[in-house]
Amino acid sequence: MEREEGMTLIVKTITRFTVWLILLYGFYLIMHGHLTPGGGFAGGLVIGLSFIHLTLAYGRDFVRRRVKVELMHALEATGSLVFLLLGLVGLVTSGVFFLNFLGHGEPFTLFSAGYIPLLNLVIGLKVGAGLYLAFYYLADYRPGEGK
Amino acid sequence: MGLYFMSFILFAVGLYGVLVKKDLVKIIIGLTIMGYGVNLFLILIGYRREGLYPILEKGRAAAAMVDPLPQAMVLTAIVVELAVLALLVSLAVRLYEKYRTHDITKIRRLKG
Repeated sequence: MEREEGMTLIVKTITRFTVWLILLYGFYLIMHGHLTPGGGFAGGLVIGLSFIHLTLAYGRDFVRRRVKVELMHALEATGSLVFLLLGLVGLVTSGVFFLNFLGHGEPFTLFSAGYIPLLNLVIGLKVGAGLYLAFYYLADYRPGEGK
Repeated sequence: MGLYFMSFILFAVGLYGVLVKKDLVKIIIGLTIMGYGVNLFLILIGYRREGLYPILEKGRAAAAMVDPLPQAMVLTAIVVELAVLALLVSLAVRLYEKYRTHDITKIRRLKG
């Protein structure tokens, strides 16, 4: 008897309902990182865990077909590159590395604190993609198999 | 003082796992438990009696907060621990591929 990939129907159905909520909660943590506990690292972990959740419930090939590994590599590299660029912008405009070059705005509102939400966003990208990639290679990679 | 002592106990539990257990996965779990003990101890050092969480909000004075510096340091330590954990697990995976076991008493061939 050929076994269906992934876990049972119950797990798949529950995953279909909850994985979007997990992903949304990750983005919430990233966006409100400068106001509440959380921030780029914790939100990025939650985003990466939503992809791992999908992989565990639906099997490896389900996620691998939809989200290319090369895209994840590109996102992870983009995260650290944009972080460096944001630091360099402060260096170029006023001579201080990682200067907060945007206006501070009104405190305790969503669009405030200068470029800190941007930094949270790129850290979240890097952590989410990096965590999924670490899981992917630990679960899937076999030496001497392809690249 | 009792809380400090409990974080030491947590560290000792992890050390017990690292020193006594023979399974590689249990050794890795012991290492992470040791890390949790150290993190808990550092967070407790920054505690201040009657202190609240160190986040500025509307209408709150900055004086009544716990020390945020150990918390930022521990956040960095957690990130580093995650990277170390990924490295250890990848080494365990490679060892399992080579020897087909996680028992460290059976992993003793020097070459081949």
